[in-house]
Amino acid sequence: MPQTPLYIVASPHPRVGKTLLARLLLEFFHSEKRPLLGYDLNPREPTFAGYFPRWVFTVDIANTRGQMELFDQLIAENPASTVIDLGYGAFEQFFSVLGEIGFAAEARRRGVETTVLFISDRAPATVRAYGELRRRLPNVPFVPVHNESVSVSFDNDDFPPSRPEFRRISIPRLSPIVRGVVDRPSFSFGSYLVKPPSGPTEIHDWVATIFNSFRDLELRLMMGQVTSALGGVSLGPPPIPRR
Amino acid sequence: MAKPTIIVVGADKGGVGKTTVSRTLLDYFTAHQVPTRAFDSEAPKGTLKRFHPDVTDVVDVTSIPDQMRIFDTLSDASVTVIDVRAGLLSPTLRALRDIGFLDAVKKGQFTFLVFHILGSSIASLNEIEDTSQFTTDAKYFLVKNYFNNTTFFEWDQATHANYFKKLKDAVEITIPKLNEMAYEQVEVASVPFLTFVANKGPKGDSANYSFVLRGYVRHWLGNVWAEYDRIKLNDIIAATPANPRVQVVR
Repeated sequence: MPQTPLYIVASPHPRVGKTLLARLLLEFFHSEKRPLLGYDLNPREPTFAGYFPRWVFTVDIANTRGQMELFDQLIAENPASTVIDLGYGAFEQFFSVLGEIGFAAEARRRGVETTVLFISDRAPATVRAYGELRRRLPNVPFVPVHNESVSVSFDNDDFPPSRPEFRRISIPRLSPIVRGVVDRPSFSFGSYLVKPPSGPTEIHDWVATIFNSFRDLELRLMMGQVTSALGGVSLGPPPIPRR
Repeated sequence: MAKPTIIVVGADKGGVGKTTVSRTLLDYFTAHQVPTRAFDSEAPKGTLKRFHPDVTDVVDVTSIPDQMRIFDTLSDASVTVIDVRAGLLSPTLRALRDIGFLDAVKKGQFTFLVFHILGSSIASLNEIEDTSQFTTDAKYFLVKNYFNNTTFFEWDQATHANYFKKLKDAVEITIPKLNEMAYEQVEVASVPFLTFVANKGPKGDSANYSFVLRGYVRHWLGNVWAEYDRIKLNDIIAATPANPRVQVVR
């Protein structure tokens, strides 16, 4: 049985596109008509929850009650495809609790596969944080994300994925005007794609590229689960979906 | 067969976590399948008995009938844990000397361990001096218990070193802090830590404790047991030939 995905969108730094990626993921789930859920771990500035007030809960994990509200719910029965927008302020505490309580193993046992989507940047501290996290959580898949609006180049050696086939997700740079439109609180990728103004636009191409990379990632994660279930026998890389 | 082991857990000060340490010891021996019984001197009800009712009796260690109940039956279990009420550690050790138990330990008839739980005050250091005169032939452990956020700030380093250098054979054990809400939930559940981690109720029935809190307790208990492994507790009691590392089961 395929695992239900739980994506943790993370970076130790602000303003690298975490909320944008979290929005895109939730819209992707919505476009696929899946049960979905989101958590915004930025209690002081819950931007992600502001975009999706019906689907996204704001949680403060600085206290134990908030941690219970989050982690106990994540492994409850019939979980939905879930996205966590992990604010940089909660970064350390989140991964500390996650590791301490043995969350990923229990989630996997209950049919939830945790994946960290780590947004890269050029700061040496970010590179160190990535390596350190991977060491602390050896059984959690890490997929690097390159937001081209944040850094032009990406060094594979700095942000290697957990497995070679979990290749990085790239978020192409949008033109400033379009980015301004996308960042409006009322903007919905899903609604925009359903009702195109007149033919494809920059946003259409951009979203299609990103959604394709999500589909590709999910296929690869699923192949990884099948491979693990078969005792490590690789079935080879999956085909890249075409649209 | 291994000789019987008696573990006295005590302090002359209250509220330093004696019963918490006794509970972790009972869980440790349960996990290692060591036949263990316990005596709780918090008469009349007993705190330890609330968590481990099947193996615990409430006693008054200063009364002769109860001393007979404990020490005339030592061979009934591999390990006997005595959770000594606050203020009774020194009187209890004195009673053990008076009934000849310490002589028997000297002759190798019993293994004797003292877990002396320290408080943050300088009075705890004075207690060490009082206690150590009875522990010449015992394995003497000085337990710094951080579970209730104790800070040992009152201990001047020079004073601390002066006391500790008198006790060449004493070994320090550190009990880390446990998340307050997790500790409180185990209290409410009135079950052993191990049972809480396994999500079971007092009668072995399924419970519905928070996964987060169980995770905190499991992690903490693992750290406490790592300390017991570090001092080779299992080897000391010689209950098993090796010292297998036991994982805290979920």
